[in-house]
Amino acid sequence: MPWRSTDDNWGHLTRLLHWGIALAIIALAVIGLYMEAMPNSMAKLKVYALHKSLGLTVLALALVRLLWRLFDRRPAYPAAMPGWQRQLSGFTHGLLYVLMFAMPLSGWLYNSASNFPLRWFNLFRVPALSGPDPELKSLALLIHQAGFYLLAALVAVHVGAALYHHFVQRDATLARMLPGLSVPKEPR
Amino acid sequence: MMKFRYLLLPLALIVCAPLPAADWSVQPGARLGFEATAQGETFHGEFKTFAASIRFDPADLDGARFEVDIDLGSVDSRNSERDEMLADAAFFDSGRQPKARYVAERFVALDDGRFRAEGVLTLRGVSQPVPLAFSWQVEGEGATLKGEATLDRIAFGVGGGEWSDAEVIGHQVRVSTELSLTP
Repeated sequence: MPWRSTDDNWGHLTRLLHWGIALAIIALAVIGLYMEAMPNSMAKLKVYALHKSLGLTVLALALVRLLWRLFDRRPAYPAAMPGWQRQLSGFTHGLLYVLMFAMPLSGWLYNSASNFPLRWFNLFRVPALSGPDPELKSLALLIHQAGFYLLAALVAVHVGAALYHHFVQRDATLARMLPGLSVPKEPR
Repeated sequence: MMKFRYLLLPLALIVCAPLPAADWSVQPGARLGFEATAQGETFHGEFKTFAASIRFDPADLDGARFEVDIDLGSVDSRNSERDEMLADAAFFDSGRQPKARYVAERFVALDDGRFRAEGVLTLRGVSQPVPLAFSWQVEGEGATLKGEATLDRIAFGVGGGEWSDAEVIGHQVRVSTELSLTP
């Protein structure tokens, strides 16, 4: 399987980015939901630091992914797919891209406006996006929290659609994104 | 009645005049700040509420006295989560001991023209010597005091136990203050 995508298959890089970001987002959601209720402790600091570092990683990967998507070709939709499904797919994917940026950026802004330091896996310092600002802090938190629920809903639609294609439509939509799998050319 | 008042005025002047050293009043805008490190970054904070009574005359160090009451709950590091954490039992414990107190009764003149207050800070019920080096600038009737001190938070039990790791929260805290004083 080549690094670049073809008409029938996603390339290595796209699959790597897709599953890498997917795993990171699941980890971020689990950590994020858990960490808020923790009592003040050294463990809490470390868990927050991990959430922030993972989030910044997703931001960097999302940027790579967006640039690669603009450069790389994309496999075609299954020929039998109705127009409204193509539109819904385009809309869902567009919003997923928006949230891949909005979630880490709003988290970063929330951290900056709260006046917390930021380091990436304790390796280097990440600059603040703003000075201490209580109003901006509330706004950033609101975006981050609302963004989470929107993201969760979009992921449900995304996963539901993938499973629908795989088990109901029995097409290659899911298989061609799975790691290491190459699907044969679809008759059109 | 009027006559009594006129009689009391010169008496009051006589009583006030022979003070050993000047008692100053602190002007609004006084600042008591600190600088510490957390997670590899320096952060600044200050105490919004504190009361300082300053008796000082460079010519009469023996008669000098500083007494400062610091309202620990007024800490502001421009980070509400951190301020809440500082109020916790593990740090200032300001619910149980709302105030810290600094008292200096011994003063020495330094070679660079500044002075040093050999004071004692009481924080969380722990009293430890904390020398405060300060400059004393006279401007007309008034004076400006600019002071610096460094203390070890561990000596006062601020952030003990799991918080004592200097890699996460530095042990040395730099304190600085600036007071505008009028007679």
